[in-house]
Order: sequence, then C-alpha cells, then structure tokens
Amino acid sequence: MRKTWRYAVTRLAHSVPVVFGVTIVTFLLLHLIPGDPARKLVGPHAGPAAVAAVRRQLGLDGSLVNQFGVFLSRLAHGDTGRSFFYGVSTRSLVISRLSVTAALVGLAALFCVILTLPLATLAAVHKDRLADHAIRVIPLVGLGMPAFWIGILFIIVFSVNLGWFPVGGWGVTLGDHLRALVLPALTAALGIIPLLIRSLRAGVLDVLKADFVATARAKGLREMRVLFRHVTRNALIPTVALLGLNIAYLIGSTVIVERVFDLNGLGSLMLDAVGNRDFPVVEGVTLVFAVAVVALNLFTDLVSAQLDPRIRLG
Amino acid sequence: MKDPPGSLSRRDLMRRTAIGAGVLAFGPAAQACSSAGSSGGTSASGPKRGGTLTFGRGTGVVNFDPANTIADSDVYTLDKIFEPLYITDPQGKLIPWLVLGHTVSSDAKTWTFTLRPGVKFSDGKPLTADDVVFSVMRCAKDTAGPLSYLDAAIKSMHATGARTFVAELTQPWAPFISDLSVYSNAIVPKDLNGQSAQSFFKKPIGTGPFVIKSWTPGANLTLARNKGYWQPGKPYLDEIQFPVIADENQRVLQLKSGTIDIAGSAPPASVSGLKSASGVSVGLFPGWLCDLLLFNEKIPKFADRHVRRAIAHAIDRKAISTAASFGTAPPAGSFIPPSVQFYDPKTPVLGYDLAAAKAELSQSHFPHGFSTKLLVPSSNAQYAATAQIIQSELQKLNISVAIQSLDDASYHQEFQSFHYEMFLNWSVNDITDPDDMCTFQVDPKAGGSDSYWTSYNNPAAIALVHQGETTQDTAQRAKIYSTLQAVVSADAPFIPLDYPPYIFAWRNNVHNFKVIASGTYRLESVWLD
Repeated sequence: MRKTWRYAVTRLAHSVPVVFGVTIVTFLLLHLIPGDPARKLVGPHAGPAAVAAVRRQLGLDGSLVNQFGVFLSRLAHGDTGRSFFYGVSTRSLVISRLSVTAALVGLAALFCVILTLPLATLAAVHKDRLADHAIRVIPLVGLGMPAFWIGILFIIVFSVNLGWFPVGGWGVTLGDHLRALVLPALTAALGIIPLLIRSLRAGVLDVLKADFVATARAKGLREMRVLFRHVTRNALIPTVALLGLNIAYLIGSTVIVERVFDLNGLGSLMLDAVGNRDFPVVEGVTLVFAVAVVALNLFTDLVSAQLDPRIRLG
Repeated sequence: MKDPPGSLSRRDLMRRTAIGAGVLAFGPAAQACSSAGSSGGTSASGPKRGGTLTFGRGTGVVNFDPANTIADSDVYTLDKIFEPLYITDPQGKLIPWLVLGHTVSSDAKTWTFTLRPGVKFSDGKPLTADDVVFSVMRCAKDTAGPLSYLDAAIKSMHATGARTFVAELTQPWAPFISDLSVYSNAIVPKDLNGQSAQSFFKKPIGTGPFVIKSWTPGANLTLARNKGYWQPGKPYLDEIQFPVIADENQRVLQLKSGTIDIAGSAPPASVSGLKSASGVSVGLFPGWLCDLLLFNEKIPKFADRHVRRAIAHAIDRKAISTAASFGTAPPAGSFIPPSVQFYDPKTPVLGYDLAAAKAELSQSHFPHGFSTKLLVPSSNAQYAATAQIIQSELQKLNISVAIQSLDDASYHQEFQSFHYEMFLNWSVNDITDPDDMCTFQVDPKAGGSDSYWTSYNNPAAIALVHQGETTQDTAQRAKIYSTLQAVVSADAPFIPLDYPPYIFAWRNNVHNFKVIASGTYRLESVWLD
C-alpha cells in the first residue's frame, strides 16, 4: 500500500511539467492565432484609440514575453485571471460549470462499462456466430457517425417523438439533471464503446484459451463463475487501460456534446471562449482538462495494478 | 440573433423623419413602414395577465450598460430595463416614448424636449430631465462607447426644468431624433444613483417594464415585472426567463417539444419545418440588414470599377436567395434595405446579365479573368453556400475563386486589416435613419471603417452622405438618398446580395410577439394563455 502511495506521489510530481507544458502551449497558440479580443469587445465602429484603450485594460498591450511573464506570475499564485468577456474570475466560471461536465463524463464512463462488459463477453462466448457479428458491427455506427449527428438523432427520436428525455438543458432538480444527462452521456459513450468491446472481446478470447481457465473448468466451477471470476477479470486489464485513455477523449468530446444538448458545462464554455478569444477562460479550462486527464491516467494505472498483481508500480 | 459584420447589430428604423422647418411634434408625423412581419397571434378574449415566458436565445447577457455594449443579447435585453426617449415601433414608426415631443429652433440647432409625466424608475424615483442629460451625455462623451459616434452632433445638453431639457447641436442634424432612439442613449438615473458603473449595472434600475430577478453573467437570466411601470396594466407577463441555448437547432427542438415558448434566431433551413409543425408559429421579420459581397479596392483588380461591375452582373441574386437562404431573404437591389428610411426601389441595379458582365470585364485591365480569394466566416452555413454559388458563377468570366473560410475572430481580423480580396458580410443600420449605414459604408473617414474596409472613396458619394445629414427637408433628403443609392450601385464597391430577415418562432400560446427591424422585441405587450 505504501508503495502505491509512493508511486502515486511520484507520478503526480512528474505530471506537473506535463500540465505546465500544456498550459504554456495553449498560451502561445492563443496569442499566435489571429483575432483581437479588444476589437471583438468594442465593435467595428470603435476607433483605434478605443481599441488600444481596451487592449491596455485587458493587459494585451505589452510584448508577448511580458504577457507571458504576467501569466506565469498569476499562475504561480493559482490565479488564472479574469474573463475578458464575462468580467468575472476564470476560477468562478470554471467552478460553476465543472459539475455539469464531471457528471457528463462520469455517466458516459459508466455507460461504457455497463454496455461493454456484457456485450464483449457475449460476443466472445458466441465467437463467429450471429450475436458476435452483430455486437462487433452495430456499435461501429457510433464510431463512424459524428457525435453531433447521433445527438440530434437521439433528440428527435427519444425527446421530441417519444418524450422520454428533455430535448436539452440541465433542469433544476437532481432528477432533472439525471434525465438531462442520459442522452448526452450515451452519445459521448458511443464514440468509444466499439473500441472497448473489441478490446475486451479479444481479451476474453485470449484468456479463454489460458491454462488456468481449463483448470477452473476441470475443478467443476460453473461456466458463469469461470467467465466472470476468472476470464473477464483477467481480460479487463487492457480494456481498463483503454478506457482510461479514452476518458480523456470523452472529456474532449464534451465540447461538442454539451453544445448539441444545451449543457452549460466546461466544453461549452471552452467553445464560446475560443470564439470570443477570451484567453484567460481558454487557459483556465485547458488547465482543468489537462489536470483531469493526468489524474485519470494515474487512476487507470492504479486500478490496473489492483486488477493484475503482476503489474509492479514504480 | 445575428451578430453583424464586425459585430454590431440592432438598429432602429423609421420610415419618415418629420423634420421640417419649425416646430415638430413627432409621433403622428412619422409614417409606418411595411417592415413588420408576422407576429404572435391575437385572441378574442384579449390580453391575460400573468405567467412566465421562456425565451431561448443563443447567448447570455454579459453587460447591461447601454453605452458600453454592442453584443446582441445585451442590447436585446437591456431595452427591457432601460428605455430611450424615442423608440421604433413594430410598424417601423419612430414614436415618442419617455418624452411627449419636442420643438426645433429655426436654425435646427436647438432642440427642446418635454418629458412624459408620471414616469418612474423601478426604485420609485421619478424620471427627471437631469437623468436624461446625464444619460445622453454619458454616452456621447464615452469615446470607447461602441455607438457614441451617433451623438457626435451634440454640442451640449442641459435641463431647463424638472421635465424639460434642451439639446444644442453643432450643426443642423436631420437624424438627431433617430440617433436619440438608439439603445445606447437609453435613460439611467443621474450619477447612476451614486454607484460605480460596475456596481450599478449588476443590479440596474431603469424605467422599463421589467427588472432583473436573477442573473448569471453569460448564462441564464430571469426578469420580473416592474410593478411601477408607467404604462397602466403592463407588462402582462409576471416573469421572463432567458435560458441560453447556443445551438440554433437545439433551440428549435426545445420549442417544438414545448420546453421554451420562443426561439430566437431560428435557422433559415428550419423555416419550412416550423411552418408545418403543430402548435408553433414562425415569423420572418424584415430587418435593417443587407448581405453583401465586398471588394478590397486597395488591390488593383478590385480598384478597377469595370471588374466590380462585371462581377455584379455575373451574380444571380435570385439563385443565392433560393439556395443559400432557403428563400427567406429576398434578393437585394439597393444597399439600403427596404425597411430603412429613404430606400429607393427604383435604384438602377447591375442585375444578372452574363453578356453585360463579359462586356464590362473586357473594358477592364483584366479582360481575360484572374484568380482571387473569397473570405467567409466558417460559422455561417448560408455564406458557405453563397460563396460556392459565387465561385461557380464567376468561373464563367474566367475568374477563379478560392474560398477562404476562417473562424469568426480570425475572419474579422483579416478583413479589418485588409488581408483579403473579396469577403462576404452583412451591413446593419443602428437607427431608423439611413445616415448610420451610409456613413459607415460610403464615407471612409467619418465612418471609421474606411468604407466598410473596402477603401471605397468617391467624393461625390461622400458629399451626398453629408448633404443627407444636414438637409432638414424630408422630400429633399429622399432625393439625396436616391441619388446616393444610384451612385453606389453604379460604382459597386460592394454588391448587395439579399435582405435577410430576423427569424423567430414561438408557441401558439404566445400573443402579440413582434420583432422590430432593429432585431429587438418589446415584451411589455406580450401575453400568454
């Protein structure tokens, strides 16, 4: 256990330069792409003096090196600045939107697990039969179609026509939130479920051939117990790693999914901020996303180690 | 809501400014324009009081300061809280609102106004002339204010009584009342009730029909009835919720499912579906808008008048209207839209005529054609389709067009830095009078945009713009603007393509919903059943 903690702390220390690097690259990219936040704020009628005044007010009048220095100094104090557009601290904006995105990613990950485990196992057990082909082919639709398209189809079918879920929005009560999240989470999950099913199916097929499975069967264990106690657990290890990696993809996909389903989370905030050239907000959201991805990767490694005692941390 | 070119938007419209010689009482002298489109249904049972209207829009309110914002969602909301001295009604008439009327001196430089009695701010304090002087001069003096240039003719303003005040102008200025009607000149309490602007506009106090109940900047907003509103019995609604629904298709779906009552800015492609949807109405409201193809005259090929005229003749505006706007935007003639005062339907237009186009090109310095680039904003599906049609049509003149699609911020920076050859955008008038758009698009210096970043510079056209500003007689002004429209049409510094409407859709339980040509909507008369 102590070793696990030591490993986690070391990995966290190693992730600091990663997060720092992402933040710096974001800062530089933002300042290199065309588009002037000051001009956006004051409109086209404003003269050069008015634009210059706003640039000064936003701290955009200094050299890039100077602005970078100010940015780093603020960051060192845990301050990601004030939004150019909303006029409030980036931190408060991020905090107000974080729960929506976290819930969306969490539920999407849950859907991945709930759908992948039985489907992949079923496909492996019925290898090369109809169920196997169906399970391997049908989810590919999710991989092949863009999330915004699947999202709109879901809305038309399940919200507008059947009325099972809200068309969009977040609602007021916890029940509203859960109902509001089902379709977006499913949309996001469908983008990675086919990969997970294929990975787990292949894993199950490999493990089914292993000697210890033959031993378990020879001991007279029931097939279900063999499958879930011995086979799936061992086959899960690469799939867990794959899921961990793809949750990072899920976080990225929230940018589109939140927009389609009218969820005011971090993805939506990011999209607006990029359009408005709201530099502090883009930097703040990127920082949160970077930390989340690093933390998830670490968590995945720790879970993999728990599943497979052969994995040595450190 | 559509966010215009460089970003501006909303404007007010009036058909006729009755600025004749001598004394004028406004309101009745103004004539209705034919711009108002369809509107929310009416009921034989008459208006009902109460209820909450849910109005889905694309962006949230960030700033309530009238003098310091130009964002659509800010502007179309702050006018529910603050009111100007005059407003444009849904029929396009400029009518007195917080004033009873005004008189003008014989030299047309001194304007005297009388405030409407009984108007109070939402905190109960009466509206006074001091509040008006503070508000208008606050906007006029703020050089960073996006629309402060509209107050440039004001030399001074002072109160002469509790309800009377006088404005002194630097020169006779025909669009003055129109300028006063713009949202940026809306009335706030004197000295912002002793608060800083930052503090005051977090919980603003105005004379408008609604007050803020709750607000998260950039996100959801709820307005509640101003119980002391000066129009007896109004507003009818208890509350208005403005949820932010960024995706336009999502807004339409939420409307169809009954989650919201009104969907702001429905996409043109959704109009036919909305018309056949049950329980829903859709309205196409003419705006002070015109889609344009603009040329960079700083580069030789587009400095050549014959090239621009050839392109004007080569473009089939009807095809663009049908294919790109799904028939919602009528093909354009003059650069002044029909809903703006002094639009001349008889303006000679360089219409679709391939033979004429080839003849024009043969007279240019580029008779054998050339390659060029067309800049479009990537977020605008209609412009993507328009660009493809233009690309195809100009091929017939051996003009090869490469379409350059950039995200909005980059797109604006590119054309405002003249890093473009042709670009698609739309023009917007901010007031009822055409002076705003004429100055912006034709006068390279006074407009502040080098003639909408085309560098068009025709001294005859500029002189006409100035004559239109200082001539008081309405009939004379009509002639001046007719000539100006003909001159600009012949020069073709930009090609008017179509007149896009404001498209709104609402549930049939919403009554009396009307959109003004500026793109805003007054909600004090809206009711639900």
